[in-house]
Amino acid sequence: MLRKSFIILVIVVLFLPFLPLVIWSFAQGWFFPQLIPNQWTLQHWLQLVSPTSRVIEGLLQSLAIALITTILSLLVGLPAGRAIGVMEFPGKEALKLFLLTPIIVSPLATLMGIQFVLIRLGLNGTLLGVVLVHLMPTIPYMTLVLTSVFANFDTGYETQARSLGASPLQVLSQVTLPLIAPGIVVGALFAFLISWNEFLLTFFVGAGRVFTLPMVLFTLLQGGNNGLVAAVAITSVIPGLLFLLLASKALENDTALGGFGNV
Amino acid sequence: MYKCNTHPQSLRPHLHLQELTKQFSGVTAVQSLWLEVQAGEILALLGPSGCGKSTTLQMIAGVVQPDSGTITLNSQILNRVPPERRDIALVLQRGLLFPHLTVGENVAFGLKMRGVSRAERDEKAIAMLRQVQLEGFADRKPSELSGGQAQRVALARSLIIHPKLLLLDEPLSALDANLREEMQDLILRLQAQTGVTMLIVTHDQAEAVVMSQRIALMFEGCLRQVDTPEQIYRQPCDETVARFMGGVNFFAAEAHGRQWRSNDLTLLSEYDHDGCVQVTIRPEQIQVLAEGRSQANTLPATVIANRFTGTQRRLTLAIAPELTLQAWVTPTQDFRVGQSVWAYLPPSALWCFPHRTVPYPVQVP
Repeated sequence: MLRKSFIILVIVVLFLPFLPLVIWSFAQGWFFPQLIPNQWTLQHWLQLVSPTSRVIEGLLQSLAIALITTILSLLVGLPAGRAIGVMEFPGKEALKLFLLTPIIVSPLATLMGIQFVLIRLGLNGTLLGVVLVHLMPTIPYMTLVLTSVFANFDTGYETQARSLGASPLQVLSQVTLPLIAPGIVVGALFAFLISWNEFLLTFFVGAGRVFTLPMVLFTLLQGGNNGLVAAVAITSVIPGLLFLLLASKALENDTALGGFGNV
Repeated sequence: MYKCNTHPQSLRPHLHLQELTKQFSGVTAVQSLWLEVQAGEILALLGPSGCGKSTTLQMIAGVVQPDSGTITLNSQILNRVPPERRDIALVLQRGLLFPHLTVGENVAFGLKMRGVSRAERDEKAIAMLRQVQLEGFADRKPSELSGGQAQRVALARSLIIHPKLLLLDEPLSALDANLREEMQDLILRLQAQTGVTMLIVTHDQAEAVVMSQRIALMFEGCLRQVDTPEQIYRQPCDETVARFMGGVNFFAAEAHGRQWRSNDLTLLSEYDHDGCVQVTIRPEQIQVLAEGRSQANTLPATVIANRFTGTQRRLTLAIAPELTLQAWVTPTQDFRVGQSVWAYLPPSALWCFPHRTVPYPVQVP
């Protein structure tokens, strides 16, 4: 009973701030001292789906960038996490610290240099350029998550599989990946959400030509259309929530690692 | 030392290790090891932890590459063969059932890797599970199994691929004593049914004795003695081996043929030897008598300690000022501490090896 009321409390505290947003997105003006708006409208949501607001365009760009970033950081993070988590080699601790630097150092400090390099490479203002800078924070997170996953991974399973006749590729697809799937889901969740919410790096490197959802939101915030801003803000939360729900579904079936270690 | 077997029999599985050496960052784990395992044989690789026995196993399985030396199975040199093509199955201490698969899928794993159809796989897996007395467990998850059941599934999973060689790395040390005996019986029964050649790595000398036809005793990366369990018990090649096999009685003597002199006593043995020797006798071989009889090797003694272990009574006997021996007798034979008794050391049980003044550096538990 106590537990249940506690959960309800948590949900209320987490979701209460969204209530005004929801009201705003359906309100035709909402002014003091009205407790609730006098008139309701779907106008903001219609505006949101119309091409002129560029919200759908931003949503699709954000989605594309976040997915590509997630896949690329997985491709880097899996081998890197395995190397650091399983193997012993000189300079391992230094490498771990080095991995953290993109998280520690503010992107503001490095943006000038990054932009300079990307302009010379002709990548400034391109989707690829934005993906590349998104990888800066996502790769460290992904690698750290997967490092601790692999640190708790018993490579004996792989030895066992090979002695039963599995080729290295079969070991990867039939044993290793299924066993670390929960860790991959957590890492992918991190990477996706970081990329999805990234503003500053996209703003500078995208140079106005790469128009992601945070860009849309930023532009709208300056415009002062509270109703549309609220609708976009709600929209921007949805993919994260969906991803989290899917992830928690996947993590529930986590019989493999007993959680994903000490992430 | 190594003779190539040219019999037609050499087509049957037959493992040769020649000059196998492995170092880990400068520390020698295995030192030029020679070993032959006959087809259908059960050999135990026995030794204290860290003696290199697991490394040897891993080299045979192909998980670890030897620095030098060759591994030959069935006249085929395995050094460059990847583990999945060696036809050598491995059962590890932890069982390591794949937690994302059901018990049935675990057992069928090796067949799946070989491209066997699903129907055939399922059928064989169920048959294999029946053989390890786990009928009806196919749809369970490994997390629902007890330690003993998991180990039986691991065994079934390895045997289903009909390996040329089955390697067991401390397969029973995670189980409790009663279960262990049950599993020993099961493994021996399965071995008899399948005729698979088996190499068991263990640090438990009792287990090695029960399970194997021959024991290869290993200390510090080197093989010390390879013999039948009985020979290793009765005729250890040195004091380290004797101590590892549970020997407790050691004393120096001067041997002249079959007459060995120690502490003003003359003992008769069945074995010829000359010079300074270290004599040993198994504690359970010494007979303790309440009344003396005039027979060689029957010595007056005083009981100075009497410890009851349930299955045995462990007596400590003072025979001479510098000579105390342990005698393990049946619990029904009870003696007071301080009682004068007679100890009979059967000549066939007295064994010796050349005396060594420098003790072996090996720590024996």
